[in-house]
Amino acid sequence: MNLTPEQQELGRRNFLKALAGTPALAALAVGAAIKGPVKGGPVRVGFIGVGGQGRVLLEQTDPAYADVLALADINPLSLGKADDVLKKKGLHPARHYAEWKEMLEKENLEAVIMAPPLWMHADIASGCMEAGKHVLCEKMMAWDYPGCERMRETARKTGKILEIGYQRNYNPIYQAAHEGIVKAGQLGDVYHSRIVWHRNGTWRRKGEPPSADYDPSRWGYPDYDHLINWRLYWKYSRGLHAELASHQVNIVNWFFGAEPEAVVSSGGVYRFPEGGREVPDHVYTILEYPHGRTAVFTSIESNAYDHYYEAFYGTKATLILRGETEAYLFDEGGGERPTTVDVTPKGSGPALDASESRSAEAAGSFKSGAPEKIERVAAYRLEVSGFCASIRTGKPLLCGPDRAIGSAKACIRAAEAVEKKSTRLSV
Amino acid sequence: MLSLDFAPASDGADYWIRVHRRAMACRFEVTLSGEDAHHVPAARDALDEIDRIESSLTVFRETSDLVQLNKAAGHAPVAVDETLFGLLHLCRELHLRTGGTFDVSTTPLSRCWGFLRREGRLPSAAEIAAARALVGMDAVELDEAGRTVRFRRPGMELNLGSIGKGFALGQVAARLRQHVRHALLSAGGSSVLALGGRGAGWIVDLRSRQVSRDRLARVHLRDAALATSGAGEQFVEVEGTRYGHVLDPRTGFPASGVLSASVIAAEAAVADALSTAFLVGGLELARRYCADHPGTLALVTPDDGSERPRVFGQCPGASLEGA
Repeated sequence: MNLTPEQQELGRRNFLKALAGTPALAALAVGAAIKGPVKGGPVRVGFIGVGGQGRVLLEQTDPAYADVLALADINPLSLGKADDVLKKKGLHPARHYAEWKEMLEKENLEAVIMAPPLWMHADIASGCMEAGKHVLCEKMMAWDYPGCERMRETARKTGKILEIGYQRNYNPIYQAAHEGIVKAGQLGDVYHSRIVWHRNGTWRRKGEPPSADYDPSRWGYPDYDHLINWRLYWKYSRGLHAELASHQVNIVNWFFGAEPEAVVSSGGVYRFPEGGREVPDHVYTILEYPHGRTAVFTSIESNAYDHYYEAFYGTKATLILRGETEAYLFDEGGGERPTTVDVTPKGSGPALDASESRSAEAAGSFKSGAPEKIERVAAYRLEVSGFCASIRTGKPLLCGPDRAIGSAKACIRAAEAVEKKSTRLSV
Repeated sequence: MLSLDFAPASDGADYWIRVHRRAMACRFEVTLSGEDAHHVPAARDALDEIDRIESSLTVFRETSDLVQLNKAAGHAPVAVDETLFGLLHLCRELHLRTGGTFDVSTTPLSRCWGFLRREGRLPSAAEIAAARALVGMDAVELDEAGRTVRFRRPGMELNLGSIGKGFALGQVAARLRQHVRHALLSAGGSSVLALGGRGAGWIVDLRSRQVSRDRLARVHLRDAALATSGAGEQFVEVEGTRYGHVLDPRTGFPASGVLSASVIAAEAAVADALSTAFLVGGLELARRYCADHPGTLALVTPDDGSERPRVFGQCPGASLEGA
């Protein structure tokens, strides 16, 4: 999605204008307010899987909400890097474990935040809940549909809280877009959504094992490459559909208020076959929703011009959510309206700066009047804090297993459709 | 108590909503406090009023009422609508009250100084004299009965740039007042009109590019208007002397001696006009005017290196800090 700076500005203003007068605007202006301190104290948490994504969650963990007591990872290098994160945050060190089960036995944990490779999600999440722990599990929910169902059923059976890490649900932009634009009917009838995640480069990672004799085979990885590049192999991964599409399908399901009934997929390993990569580097999927609505997902590893976005094309307007930080709205045929609306935090300054006359381009204040920028990673912070808040107060989760399973189911089928070269699979 | 709250803050009182559009070569803006978000549609409707005013009062469109008036009123009386007639009436009254320092008929002077084309030049004495002969609000006849306007000297021209923004704000406010209790209106920052104002009122910082201080004063406004004029926005420099674009109709030369003049009064149009008058007439006029016309507060910063505004008079609904 490439727009000129003028189009971006127009679209951004249109978005805010459309929100004006709705509660969603306030949510956007003030961000999602979290009030502390915590009654009952921070939740005693252990992390399972502190690779790249696990460390993002660790980095965004607010100590007012969660006290990180222990870390479990089969890769000692990841544990070392996680230590660095805690140290940088000024937090106390956490005890290390290679085996997550040992961590659960030895530590007095209330909850687990987990981001191991996808194929382990169902076993670990269910095991944790059965051991009496609440679970925040990184997306996608599980490698296969029975795994998803097992997790949901275990949560129901044990009464433990299970949240799946779709951070967009916690992002105020998405909240505002849903409340103020989609639910308010400002798009008209929406028949089409386009969800795009384009990158230019290989997904394969390089890295030296922690030691010459390091052997991950007892955990199911024949060599170190399979551990650090688990995303590239079907045994552990569902490829681009699980890692990228499932975020965006989660949003389409939310905004459509429905789940796909069927998928049509194409794709293959076209650019980066080296090293025995199994999952496609290009995928194209059509997701069919009830009532004639269709979403089209594309993810390619040969061009990053489009970056990533979710777009909703309605009979009255187009909504584009880009890069988890920007929202644009364009009226159908409405053209540019001369009046615009901005929202700015009050702060402690004056309501206005008066002076000799200023040109039309000058804003009402000498300082920039741009709305606060939404920080992408802030949504992770809200997600982790929201999970902890749910444990303490019973506040409802913003994604939850029911919503997460809808996205997982469609993305699993979409990945299968590519893998098996099937043309159309019902969900 | 731990809570994760995605609902709006209790009342939205911690953000501003600024509804704005471009008009009269500046930004017209209505600022609402967050809790008044439901008034955004009313603010937008009220701002639509400006288009109508601008299309009537501008000198930049051949079709405007003012351009038509300028073309014809030197030859015969021209009937105008009630709004324009009322505004010209106010202009004449302010002309009288300010000893001729406020004058909407200085266009021939501005032209001879090159300010109309933004190419300033130093005119000859003869050119200035010729232009001055076509200047003078006292030579504009307003006939109440027929609501007509006539220029006693052919070649005269009116330009409402020194009062138009304030006048427009007044019109916008009149519309807005039907729905909204609290709003802060601005036209380019030089004309500001406070509608209502919670607590001590709307806080407005008065700044000037003519001085190095961060701000000249902080003003609290409730149901009052603030306007500011400065000499330095446009100028011509000839042999080391700077000539500002605001001309003294009494001499034909650019006003001097004042860096910045601000006026707080009940009506935005009046404040707008007086800020120009005090830029021309200086401290003495401001002192005298504010004494004679209660309800007028002036902050005039002389060009004496002090960078401090001198304050005269008082206005209900306005209080100053740090002046």
